[in-house]
Amino acid sequence: MNRTILTVDDSRTMRDMLRLALVKAGFDVVEAVDGLHGLEVLGGIDPDVIITDINMPNLDGFGFIEAVRDGDRHRATPILVLTTESDPEKKSRARQAGATGWIVKPFHPDKLVEAIRRVAA
Amino acid sequence: MDELEEIKATFFLECEELLADLENGLLAMQSGSADGETINAVFRAVHSVKGGAGAFGLDPLVRFAHVFETLLDEVRSHKVEATLELVRELLRAADVLADHVQAARTDGAVNEAASAQMAAVLDSLTVAGKAATAAASPVAAPPVAAAPPPPAAPAPPRASLPVDDGIGSNFRPMTVSLASFDAAPLAPPAGDGDWIVKFRPKTELYRNANDPLLLLRELERLGPISVVIDDAELPGLNELNPEAAYLGFTVTLKASLQESAIREVFEFVDGDCVVDITPPAPPPVEFDLVALLKAAEDVKPAADFTPAPQVMFKPLAAPPLDLMASPGPATPPPIPVFAPTAAAPPPPPPPAAEPPPPVSAEPAPEFTGVLAASIKTPAPKPQPAVAEAPANAQATIRVDPERIDRLIDLVGELVINQAMLAQRVIESGLASSSSVALGLDELEQLTRQIQDGVMAIRAQPVKSVFQRMPRLVREVANMTGKQVRLVTEGESTEVDKTVIERLGEPITHMLRNAIDHGLETPEERRAAGKPVEGTVRLAALHRGGRIVIEVGDDGRGINRKRVLAIAVEKELISSDATLTDEEIDNLIFLPGFSTAKTVSDISGRGVGMDVVRRSVQALGGRISISSKPGEGSVFTLSLPLTLAVLDGMVVDVAGQTLVIPLTAIIESLRPKPEEVKGLGPQGAVLSVRESFVPLVDIANALGFRSEKRAPSDGVVLLIEAEDGGRAALVADAIQGQRQVVIKSLESNYRQVEGIAAATILGDGRVALIVDVDALVAMRRRDGARNSEPTLFAAE
Repeated sequence: MNRTILTVDDSRTMRDMLRLALVKAGFDVVEAVDGLHGLEVLGGIDPDVIITDINMPNLDGFGFIEAVRDGDRHRATPILVLTTESDPEKKSRARQAGATGWIVKPFHPDKLVEAIRRVAA
Repeated sequence: MDELEEIKATFFLECEELLADLENGLLAMQSGSADGETINAVFRAVHSVKGGAGAFGLDPLVRFAHVFETLLDEVRSHKVEATLELVRELLRAADVLADHVQAARTDGAVNEAASAQMAAVLDSLTVAGKAATAAASPVAAPPVAAAPPPPAAPAPPRASLPVDDGIGSNFRPMTVSLASFDAAPLAPPAGDGDWIVKFRPKTELYRNANDPLLLLRELERLGPISVVIDDAELPGLNELNPEAAYLGFTVTLKASLQESAIREVFEFVDGDCVVDITPPAPPPVEFDLVALLKAAEDVKPAADFTPAPQVMFKPLAAPPLDLMASPGPATPPPIPVFAPTAAAPPPPPPPAAEPPPPVSAEPAPEFTGVLAASIKTPAPKPQPAVAEAPANAQATIRVDPERIDRLIDLVGELVINQAMLAQRVIESGLASSSSVALGLDELEQLTRQIQDGVMAIRAQPVKSVFQRMPRLVREVANMTGKQVRLVTEGESTEVDKTVIERLGEPITHMLRNAIDHGLETPEERRAAGKPVEGTVRLAALHRGGRIVIEVGDDGRGINRKRVLAIAVEKELISSDATLTDEEIDNLIFLPGFSTAKTVSDISGRGVGMDVVRRSVQALGGRISISSKPGEGSVFTLSLPLTLAVLDGMVVDVAGQTLVIPLTAIIESLRPKPEEVKGLGPQGAVLSVRESFVPLVDIANALGFRSEKRAPSDGVVLLIEAEDGGRAALVADAIQGQRQVVIKSLESNYRQVEGIAAATILGDGRVALIVDVDALVAMRRRDGARNSEPTLFAAE
């Protein structure tokens, strides 16, 4: 069975980019448009890895990660954060919230897949 | 289309939405109606534009967006106050950003100077820019391996390892094919060495869903590894906290590489894990073993070495894995706990000296099992996935527009086909009450419903067009030095995509005209006792099966005396013409008419109202103006909801079949001879209920027939033009009312004045669709000039 990746991003472009790269690499992709939607989606699936943006309406990436980690069902699911720059402050905030790792945008598809490999069991 | 290109197209679509969000947010901030979320949305818009642009390597766009975003981030975090001046600059920046997007989309160029200037302004408004010190921007220290490694961590020389034969001291990084390590025990190549990597996860590492097993797996990608677990911290089962970190790992990695490659493995757990990396051991002679060991004994294991979630871990007897316990070459055997792949390196050679008591009968499988188990904890095994979950979240589907266009074309063919079938049935002499005829009626109804349904798919709100207008208004206002407030209404009014695409231009012209010509200067307004700020209203609504766009201003209104004088002076009308106020107002649409005293920036763009009118007419639309002196003017643009179908009246004119748009027809009648009155040498009027309406013989007007024919011999269609003017069109006979599929005459033949388009009738013949307004205007003009119409001859 293919691994399933949940992508959470309010930008359609970014979701499409992620999907393109992930599907090519043989993953199944489920998408959510913001943190709140992401939590809703997580009610129905158990992805192998979650990839989330930080800046999103309704519930941002930090809040989303915290909520995932606070819940029981997905708190051991690896979460990768999409950041625009390798901003150390943002990374450490993301990690505090419970992020497993990060991907710097713009990402190369190989880098993306590598990051997933590094965190996915 | 290439997938990436497709996403790029999506990106530009998204950019439009984002830019609109950006502008709306900034406008809300300007008008004081912003809430806390507004600035976040504004920030996000720019952030998303930048993110997408980065993915496509649109560097100029990224650069500008970055500067913009930086300032917005500071506004968002209240480091910079959102004053009205600031918001004004932000609005300008939004316009420049839109230019960048446009340039990126069309592979065009932006105004570099303007962009650079704007970027400089934005930069100067940031905290750093204000402080005027570039260095003021807080630069965080580069990430350091958080906890300093225990001072005395280096591994003691181990008998089990082949001692470097002096080459180790000359170690140089070199590229080594890792594949060569696959096959078991071979002497390490020259320059190779054993890296000792010790790491001890903290609880945070597990909490963030990282996993030592994965780190080991990554390390193994670098070269063959053997792993020793330090479980000294591991408490008894009764005291064990399954979520705490207890274990340390010592990895011996055989590889020739830079330390950074190993550090990279720990990138994600930096700070959540104590990592100590020792490069390949130098020759023994340089080792002060005694001193090192002494130092090692002084150091207790770091206090924050926290325990690990190893629920199933069997408490082990004794402290068997303490590397530091037995000095000298007689170290305990490393326990190969990690053997994830078949090609894994063999366990290190047995120790030379007496081994300590065996730890466990089968340590390897046990440990591996434990580590693997830790991945699954604490989450219970998931329930069967519900794959449909995200589907309900997005209630819309995206369809390639070409598919819809094709569907609409097909439905058009269906309509024509159905009409032809109906005609055949009539020709075959079947009674209209026959079952075939009745079935056909139903078919017609269904066809129409399908058509409506398909058209609805392609319908879009005019919002996408309206959204572009605030910027235009700002620009024109700046250029003319007028203060303008734009009010929009009916943004959600839907109209066919084909119409939407062509609405922008006429609306742009009308708005420009309203601000440039309609509104007074602030001084004039003040003098007239009006608010200094002029209001321009842009509204969309549905009326009578058409979409109506109104552009109104509260300016000075049309100076009718002046318009009339100019029209006479330019010989657009005869000097003795008596015109209603409305007719005078509409003179400004005549070609060659321009009231502007000076060619301003705006009018300099080649915008004449006649051009607007022509482009509107090409769409089957009509434009008119009504004006009240001193109170303002309203331009009304009316367009068919779709450019695909039309309800029409089919008439015979001089042997030709023509279609008159039903929306224009008020009534049809058969005039009595005494109701027709001659007017001048050519003209005639029809008396309709105590008012006179000019008669237009379609056959004469379109050049089908030159001789006159008594209107009372034919039928008269009383029509109303968009400007409210009435006329009576004379045709030979009426065939009936029918829905026709519009086929462009322009793209299939050429533009013909007085004809809007063509269609294919039930019998397969082509019929022309009459442009009623143009016909009336032609007659008015020709009447004024007393010249003969030469329609099909003229280009």
